[in-house]
Amino acid sequence: MAIRSSSSLLRLKSPLSLLLPRGDAFLYLFALLSIFSLLLHHLTPAAAQPHFEGFDADEDDDFALGEPKSEEFIRSSPPPITLSTSTPESHHGPPDTDPSQIQSPPSDQNPKPASFDYWDEDEFEGIPPTEPITETTAAAAAAASESDPVPSSEDSVNDLNSDAKVPWKITSFTVEIACVSFLIVFAINYFTGKKENENLALAWASKFATKDSIFDKNFSLLGVGETDDSPLLLQEGKSVFKFYASGRRYCSGLLATMELKSRHDLISRLYNMVVPCKDEITFEVYMNDDSMDQVVFAMARKKMAKTMQKELRDLQRFAGLVNPPNGRKWVADELQVVSESKEVATDLITDAVLDQVFGDKAFEKFGKGFISMHLSDQQPGSSKKMLIFKFALPDKNNMADMTRLVALVPYYIDLIGRYKLSSHARSKTEAARAKVAQELYKELQYARQDALQKKKAEQRKKLEEAEAKLSAEALRKKEAKDRSRQMKKAMPKMKMTKAH
Amino acid sequence: MASQSNDPRLPSAARPYKAPVIAPQDLPIDYSGFIAVIFGVFGAMFRYKLCSWLAIIFCAQSLANMRNIENDLKQISMAMM
Repeated sequence: MAIRSSSSLLRLKSPLSLLLPRGDAFLYLFALLSIFSLLLHHLTPAAAQPHFEGFDADEDDDFALGEPKSEEFIRSSPPPITLSTSTPESHHGPPDTDPSQIQSPPSDQNPKPASFDYWDEDEFEGIPPTEPITETTAAAAAAASESDPVPSSEDSVNDLNSDAKVPWKITSFTVEIACVSFLIVFAINYFTGKKENENLALAWASKFATKDSIFDKNFSLLGVGETDDSPLLLQEGKSVFKFYASGRRYCSGLLATMELKSRHDLISRLYNMVVPCKDEITFEVYMNDDSMDQVVFAMARKKMAKTMQKELRDLQRFAGLVNPPNGRKWVADELQVVSESKEVATDLITDAVLDQVFGDKAFEKFGKGFISMHLSDQQPGSSKKMLIFKFALPDKNNMADMTRLVALVPYYIDLIGRYKLSSHARSKTEAARAKVAQELYKELQYARQDALQKKKAEQRKKLEEAEAKLSAEALRKKEAKDRSRQMKKAMPKMKMTKAH
Repeated sequence: MASQSNDPRLPSAARPYKAPVIAPQDLPIDYSGFIAVIFGVFGAMFRYKLCSWLAIIFCAQSLANMRNIENDLKQISMAMM
């Protein structure tokens, strides 16, 4: 039983890959991003200041002025990423904090004194200060590239602590401390949550899809591959798992999609503390075209059933809420049946089902995980005849709780596959479908006509525009003519007399 | 349930799983990535540190929520260009 994760195809070699084999791609990207953004942060002010200093240094060669400036320059030169948080402080710090700079970790001790020396010599020789800048940035870049993804963040935390010992204000670090620690917790939670989700999915699969389990007894092909030893589950993202089964009478395939809570994502985990949600599993059974009669049927808890009836298109068109019939055992009070006709509802809710799951007593015990079921031959999408079951997953230790719910799936496949409507009901359903088909056809025609009309209108517009252009030209010509005529009219004032 | 009288399995009808193909533009919207971009822009525009940090955090979230790396990398490379 293996999970084939689509995400593990891309493997980047990072030193952590030995410890954490799966998510190194994520880690690598994440580390790169954080390093990059921190670099940007500290380069921007650093890049701005030397620029102005360069101007100043050229103009006044005053030594007294040059001294503090040189210090300022050194501190504003971009330090290695690991020391990132020290720079914002230095702008406010007193000018004689050099020893404290030297106290910081050994990685950046070397470049700094060097740059200081360079600068002092340069100051007297009047050489522009570009050299030390490039050197220090190169050193910083080298330090950044050498540092590992996670150790870098850890280092920064250590540095935060070491900085905290220095008598600088700690308040200005709060944002960094909070964010870095949040990111660390996020990373830890990513791996633990991922593992948790995988364990839950595997627990489900080992309960229901291994040898001699319910799906093995019902389907000849299990898993997403073509061979027998192919992986059972297909992982999509970190919280969605798919299980496929095929090779059974009446249906062409079954796809179970487990949508688990996004435990790997700390933010949505926090959000789920406020708005709780469940781990859900959805079974989609694709029925063969010839083995499902015209049935539209749904069942869910009362509130949900009403919203389903309003929102799902096929239920909205064909089905209505069905009241419990008199003199017959019916589903538990919490449940509401939505169906095309009463006949379908009574035929599909058999005594066996009532006994096992949906009856009053059984539902309390076994129906906790039931969310909804929706059997319809008019589903939207590519395969029309489909049975959809939605259940909530229990925890991985109590997987057996949903055994009866899972057993509903093959039971209903057989029930629907054998079910034939009575002639009376069939004529009704056929009429309804014909009506809907006609409506659809009409809608299509309307849409087509609309499209045609739009095209015509566009053509007309084009023609009119062309005409307008033409008419504009005509107007111009007319005006020109008028003018010339007026000119002519004006002309004759000077009458010429012919010499007789 | 007891109604399975004989073996319902039908090996001849077995069809292997075909993953539905999803075009890159039909992928669900990556809200956290979107938020990250917005925070990033704000952080860069106003030099506001907290915004940039939030951008990093949401970026991490969107990375964590990647569905399938190939498609998303395609998108990212497109965005880079």
